[in-house]
Amino acid sequence: MKISNLAACLLAGAMLASGAMPANAATYDPQCFRAAAAAGATVQLPAKHGPYRIAFANGFIGNGWRVQMIQTLRAYAAQPDVAKQIKELRIVSVGTDVSAQIAAMDNFINAGFDAILIDANSPTAFKPVLRRAQKAGVLIVSFDNTFDRTGKETNLIQVNQDQRAMGQMMGDWLNSTMKEKKSVLEVRGVPGNSVDRDRHEGFRAAMAKDPGVQITEVVGNWDDGTGQKAVADALAVHGNFDGIYTQGGSIGVTHAVMDAGKGFIPIAGEGENGFRKLIVAHANDGLLGDSAGQSPALVAVALKAALAALDGRALPQEIAVPIPEANYKTLVAGKTYFPDVSDTFFAASDFPVCSINLGAKDILGASGK
Amino acid sequence: MNGSDIRLFARHNAIPLLAGAVFAAMFVLYLALQPRGVTVGTLVTASNKGVLLALIACAQTLPVLTGGIDLSVGAIAVLANCLASTLLGGSGLSLVGGVAATLAAGALAGGFNAVAVVWGRLQPIIATLATSSIFYGISLLLRPDPGGDINDDFASALTGDIHGIPTTLIILLAVLLLFWLPFRRTLIGRGVYAVGSAEAAAYMSGVRIARSKACAYVLSGVLASLAGLLLTLIAESAQASAIQAGDLTLNAIAAVVIGGTSLFGGIGGLVGSVIGAFILRTIGDLLFVLAASPLWQPLFQGLILLAAVSLGAIPLLRNRNRLESFR
Repeated sequence: MKISNLAACLLAGAMLASGAMPANAATYDPQCFRAAAAAGATVQLPAKHGPYRIAFANGFIGNGWRVQMIQTLRAYAAQPDVAKQIKELRIVSVGTDVSAQIAAMDNFINAGFDAILIDANSPTAFKPVLRRAQKAGVLIVSFDNTFDRTGKETNLIQVNQDQRAMGQMMGDWLNSTMKEKKSVLEVRGVPGNSVDRDRHEGFRAAMAKDPGVQITEVVGNWDDGTGQKAVADALAVHGNFDGIYTQGGSIGVTHAVMDAGKGFIPIAGEGENGFRKLIVAHANDGLLGDSAGQSPALVAVALKAALAALDGRALPQEIAVPIPEANYKTLVAGKTYFPDVSDTFFAASDFPVCSINLGAKDILGASGK
Repeated sequence: MNGSDIRLFARHNAIPLLAGAVFAAMFVLYLALQPRGVTVGTLVTASNKGVLLALIACAQTLPVLTGGIDLSVGAIAVLANCLASTLLGGSGLSLVGGVAATLAAGALAGGFNAVAVVWGRLQPIIATLATSSIFYGISLLLRPDPGGDINDDFASALTGDIHGIPTTLIILLAVLLLFWLPFRRTLIGRGVYAVGSAEAAAYMSGVRIARSKACAYVLSGVLASLAGLLLTLIAESAQASAIQAGDLTLNAIAAVVIGGTSLFGGIGGLVGSVIGAFILRTIGDLLFVLAASPLWQPLFQGLILLAAVSLGAIPLLRNRNRLESFR
């Protein structure tokens, strides 16, 4: 382990010395820790010796995604090869107040933790505490809701999924799957949210390749009830569509299509287990479905990145993890969907290229205690 | 002060004193369990987030004392936060001007509430719910995207320490000693209590009701904007966040109640609310040192809160008049 660290350092050093190496080639495990921008800057800290003390300053905890995220973190940290690198894992959920989350980070810095993971309440409010972390030599890994960089941070790694790419992926898939391409329904998320904006732009960019398609937009708020009603209304007004892209609330959207009784059409949706169950149950009747989503397992990638960076490995400052996607051809029971688990479980919870393969049993078994 | 004076003082301030004891016990436990011992950094962290909530709780206390409530204190703080983030980028005199302008904006917002409640005769709970939405709308116009550029040195100085004492704690003590204690003895200050305990009787006794009520809302706006200013310095940025505003408003009401101020008005004060705010914040800190399991934390937090409120309510069990139980 130590020798390989040394070798990695030497290798990285040699590459830095030789100059003109692209950032990708020099960083550790580029398959999993893929740089968000090809020429993006990297982070490399002096190697420490594990096992490490890791903290997680969570904000809000009041929805299923956040709960599953915390369960995923515990499950991943309990895996034998991860557990041996961790001396202590401390998780605190402070609620929606920005100042309380800043204080939680300060507490972790004062208590001498090696790295702090954070799902931030604000993209900008953490500048001063990030400076204090940098001064104290504490690594910060933010994920899901990440920060706006000032450019001075040398101890900050950000892990997220490319929302625009996700919208584009779904658009491309619809384009290649729809039988006819005349009219498409787009069900958007919560208005004013940057994730909604990015997914929408990516989707439109993909659809723009075929200018003949007419796109109808409704707002579904990423919610099953709202989405179901919006789609039912759209179907009543417009007759039928050739395909649907919904950013969320996919179960409700699919039920609206089933209730309309006009036959199935291709639906590209989010990563809910219930949506994936519906796809599998009705694929033969024509429900061709594609499912990809913001994964609660981002937290596991963040932890993996923190451990690698503490070992002294070079990583991109901005990591865009691969989007966990599965469609009606590739869904596998027990791996990418879970027949005996509830519909609201986020099934998009595995990152095979990062060797993160957590099933529903692993995650739900870690009750969060 | 002789023995009977002390007894009288203790009887009049039973709830704040009990709350103070609860806070002291919790905070000592927190400090004792610090993994790396107590440092100035620990105290500064606790003070910064505690004083922020304490100032909002103070802002909430004044309208509550008059028998009203102000649901817009969080929104005024967020408004001040957004305004200050555009004014505190410079140095020297421009900083002083920025601070003054922010506090003036708070007074103006409070004045708006006062007009709606006192002269518009709207129910405070509805009027301030509406104005909170107005203040949030203005915040959104001032700062559509999160951000802001704050003078680093100024922010670090005011959120740091002076000879080991957190600067924010000194600011809070200054508010209590230089504003609250003198204000409580003025005609307007006594009028605030009088209006809250028996508005009709106060009117019949010649108390200028409108003036006292209006003053309570205006000063509430100033205190809330001071909290917003502090948030700007802690975060060195601003975000027009309705969630943040709601979070601060609700926690402020909780702090006011824990500190022994009656929601019916006329009883209580700023000192109790400050202690209540620190109790609330220390509950969060205890989660940190006790390493409570993550999914149990909300339950754990609620139980401690309930215990703290119940302890504070013990003096209420001793009724002077049995009819009060049925009020």
